[in-house]
Amino acid sequence: MSTRKLAFLIILTALCLALQIVPRPPNVEFTSFFSFIMGLTEGAVVGALFGSFVMLTNGFLSPYGFGGLNIPFQIAGMIIAGVLGGVYRRFTRDLSFSASFSLETAVLGAIIALIYDLITNLGYGLQLILAGEGAALALFTAMAYGSFFSLMHIVSNTVIFGVLFLPITNALNSLKVGESLWSKKERLYS
Amino acid sequence: MVEKRTFVFVILATIVWASLASAFAGYYYLQNMNNSEQLNSAQSSLNKVASNYSQAADKYDLLLSEYALLDGNYSYFMGSNYAILMPPLRSLIANFAKNYTSLLTQEDMNKSYQQLLSDHATLLQKGNITRGDFGSLLSEYYNLFNLSAIRELGLSISKSTTLSVNVVIDYGNGTAEWHNETIVTSGYTLFRLTQEIAVIESSYFAYLEPGHIRIDSINGKTTTANYTNPSYSWGYSWIWYYWNDNDKRWVSGPVGCDAWLLKDGGIYKWNYEYWHFP
Repeated sequence: MSTRKLAFLIILTALCLALQIVPRPPNVEFTSFFSFIMGLTEGAVVGALFGSFVMLTNGFLSPYGFGGLNIPFQIAGMIIAGVLGGVYRRFTRDLSFSASFSLETAVLGAIIALIYDLITNLGYGLQLILAGEGAALALFTAMAYGSFFSLMHIVSNTVIFGVLFLPITNALNSLKVGESLWSKKERLYS
Repeated sequence: MVEKRTFVFVILATIVWASLASAFAGYYYLQNMNNSEQLNSAQSSLNKVASNYSQAADKYDLLLSEYALLDGNYSYFMGSNYAILMPPLRSLIANFAKNYTSLLTQEDMNKSYQQLLSDHATLLQKGNITRGDFGSLLSEYYNLFNLSAIRELGLSISKSTTLSVNVVIDYGNGTAEWHNETIVTSGYTLFRLTQEIAVIESSYFAYLEPGHIRIDSINGKTTTANYTNPSYSWGYSWIWYYWNDNDKRWVSGPVGCDAWLLKDGGIYKWNYEYWHFP
């Protein structure tokens, strides 16, 4: 990985962490969006690493307190978001604004939120099992009581992906296109 | 013809919708179960009140009939010595004592009852009992009888709407503080009870559900958390448990202490314990 790409990755990670740590309504987050974008622009592995690092840090610094046993599940959820970005990269047409494209990214945002919530609810269910609850009831309770939070997450992710996806990816593409020019300029000073 | 890509996204959207709908159905099912359980409990409490009331009313009516008979005899008594009415009054007092045994353990009631017995014995020794003497003794009995009936009714209602629970606070250093047979009203949560039996500090977390409260300190013993090393954290926290009578073991509280309704005869524990992650 080039220094330039690494610096870019670090800046995005810092931005994402700042957004993650700032107090906000529960389950309204930008990490899955950025993990997906990283997967899309830099590949599935980078997307997965990005998501996992942000969630690992978030687990300790979140305004909602220590993530505890749920941290591995949160990391797994964001890894999937990054990987899905990498997978989607293969099937993406030209990035140009259209209602259908926004709708498509909105649906992707919703499905990523759903997968993430299923995984983290599973984590909560396992905690209930460890506490002595029966397995079926524990998982059912975790899924059921998480439904309101899932709704908030899915709705917010749908909006974030639907509205922000295109402008952000276009901005990142512009940045990449200009990269060769900046590199040439830099060589003059070296 | 529908494009394959569109088809895939429609399926994904349907999966999201179906999963959310199922989760909400599950949520309402759980809530419904909880509500039914609480309604049943309230109904059973009401039935208990009704049954207690019915028993108390039967007892009251029976003793009142006996009293009315004696009062009739007293009112229409033609003689001058009322000593002949003393044995029926003694029998009435004995019946009263038999029916309100539990109340007579209360200090004030017991004193009034002993006074009645003493007055009865004193009057009996007099030999010639006037209308006034007997009337005042009969009134003394009637007052005690009415007071007992009212008090028993109040007790029977409060017994049906209060719970008796046991709580232990384990400080993790070998000291365990028991609060046995603590009386609370129905609908009390473990959090409210803990507030009453100890000095606590707590934090409110809006995103936690069910239950939003985390206990930070009980009687000065404060929770600690150490996150200085990002790969390893540890601390001490107050964790609550309930006693599962079927399995004969402590079960860690599955929800926040402010969401857990106490049950009659329940046993609960606050444990100050060490944790670490991973």
